[in-house]
Amino acid sequence: MKMWLEDIWAAYGSTLGFGMVNAFFALSTYAVLSAGILSFATVTYAAAGGFLGTQLALHLGLPVFLVLPAAALIGAALAFVVALVFLRLESHWMALASLALVLITRVVALNATPLTGGVYGLSVPLFFPFAGLVVLLGVVAVVFWRLNQSWYGIAARAVREDPAVASTLGIPPRRIQTIAFVVSGATGGIGGMALALSLQFLSPDTYFINIAFTMIAAVVLGGSYHWAGAILGAFVFTALPVVAQAVLPEFEKVLNGVALLLIMIFLPRGLIDPRFWRLRKSAKS
Amino acid sequence: MSLLLETDDLGKSFGGLTAVADLNLAVPHGCVAGLMGPNGAGKTTVINLLSGLLRADRGRVLLDGVPMQGLPPHHIAAAGIARTYQNVRLFSGMTVLEQVMAGCFLRRGTSLMASFLGLPAARAAHRAVQSHALDLLDRVGMADRAEELAETLSYGEQRRIEIARALGSNPKLLLLDEPTAGMNAQESDGIGRLVHALRDGGMTVLMVEHNVRLVMDFCDRVTVMNFGRALANGTPAECMAHPDVQAAYFGRADDAERIRSLR
Ligand SMILES: Nc1ncnc2c1ncn2[C@@H]1O[C@H](COP(=O)(O)OP(=O)(O)OP(=O)(O)O)[C@@H](O)[C@H]1O
Ligand SMILES: [Mg+2]
Repeated sequence: MKMWLEDIWAAYGSTLGFGMVNAFFALSTYAVLSAGILSFATVTYAAAGGFLGTQLALHLGLPVFLVLPAAALIGAALAFVVALVFLRLESHWMALASLALVLITRVVALNATPLTGGVYGLSVPLFFPFAGLVVLLGVVAVVFWRLNQSWYGIAARAVREDPAVASTLGIPPRRIQTIAFVVSGATGGIGGMALALSLQFLSPDTYFINIAFTMIAAVVLGGSYHWAGAILGAFVFTALPVVAQAVLPEFEKVLNGVALLLIMIFLPRGLIDPRFWRLRKSAKS
Repeated sequence: MSLLLETDDLGKSFGGLTAVADLNLAVPHGCVAGLMGPNGAGKTTVINLLSGLLRADRGRVLLDGVPMQGLPPHHIAAAGIARTYQNVRLFSGMTVLEQVMAGCFLRRGTSLMASFLGLPAARAAHRAVQSHALDLLDRVGMADRAEELAETLSYGEQRRIEIARALGSNPKLLLLDEPTAGMNAQESDGIGRLVHALRDGGMTVLMVEHNVRLVMDFCDRVTVMNFGRALANGTPAECMAHPDVQAAYFGRADDAERIRSLR
């Protein structure tokens, strides 16, 4: 029995770890999406959190369990600045501007050598226990649960569905969306640092389009109308190729794409959709 | 009687089209004012200007003497103006109760942070707002549907939910854009009675209404618009007797010519 568990752990432990890291990225994307904003800037918050957090540990000797909150603060501060600029733009331009930010992030990562190691990358000789990652994701999930239950959540849902109507109800859309950006930044910063701790090595390509793709795919899979959808989507998206490799090796490469297409066609609002449950409840009563 | 709402030469154009021109409205406290006019007269544009969704090109809007023009909609809402929409605009995916809760945002009585932390005072305030929202739903006869998804309900029901949502902020001035559109006579009378009850509770209501009988029965004053301008102002009976109004509503071609020359 114990042997069997150890085998499973050896085979899938790292998948679980990366699933959690991706869950932070997906939650960061969900944070802005739930206030009506599509932004890829999570990649930038992750890079800032990962590189700066690592430097804080290496040069200031910040203990690992403080590095993650520090990365959250760095991401949040950066996102606040990004919000000041982005919230002046129309929503579709905002998405494009955030992609531009991802490209700029890579250029900075390549050239800010003292901070990022440039083309040679940066090794991250820090140890963070797996259980710590689990606890951290739990704490972040509680934060999202509270946000969802609170007046912020009510206001964010209204702004997402119709910002003009929300504003005539006295809900300030910009202020709500600024909060959404800050939450997204903090979560993205944590994700960036968690990725650094998992990989133990950072290169300019660590924080790039691949993360943007993963986080969007996770949110599409899991659903963008509930925070649990982001977490579920991240785990499914991370696990599918690994499971495929074990079961159907020929389909490993395409399985994620197929799953995404199927979900978009048959469950366009994702695996977790509160509206669907409510429709069923309304239909019954 | 002192004026709650005053507009002063209010004007708005879309490109070459003048949607509202030189409009002077005067709505006293505690009055049900009607806004009438043929299709395209500019009624909805007036509601949009008053609620801040559109920015006026010219003129002023005064609420209790305080200028409102140029303020963002959420400030205008906080100053005491609430509204409904001609094409019902409820939030997709929300239950009936959640719609009205969103309307109660301004009177939530706690900070966003306290509510996030779930502090005891914030939870008590949340429960109080929730029971207030249920009271509002009761006023529009929708309390028993509170947990249903609003988009599954009938058009008339959705209109009443929208009124409850607008009442959530406890406004001084309630703007209703065709609240009875698509309703039968019985439902329409229900809206009329609700409006009277609100007025008797001290609220002021400005409603866009096409149904002449309802305007006669439920409005204290009326403004009739055509081509963005006020044609007539006064009691419902005075306005309906006004020759320009009769021409605008029932006019023949030569009458229409005369109306156009008034622009
Ligand atoms: N956002 C806009 N952009 C361009 N033109 C507009 C806009 N809103 C209204 N208009 C035009 O302004 C004029 C007045 O429209 P408005 O919607 O205010 O009329 P209304 O009196 O509410 O009519 P109805 O009874 O059909 O609702 C119309 O000619 C309309 O086409
Ligand atoms: Mg209209």
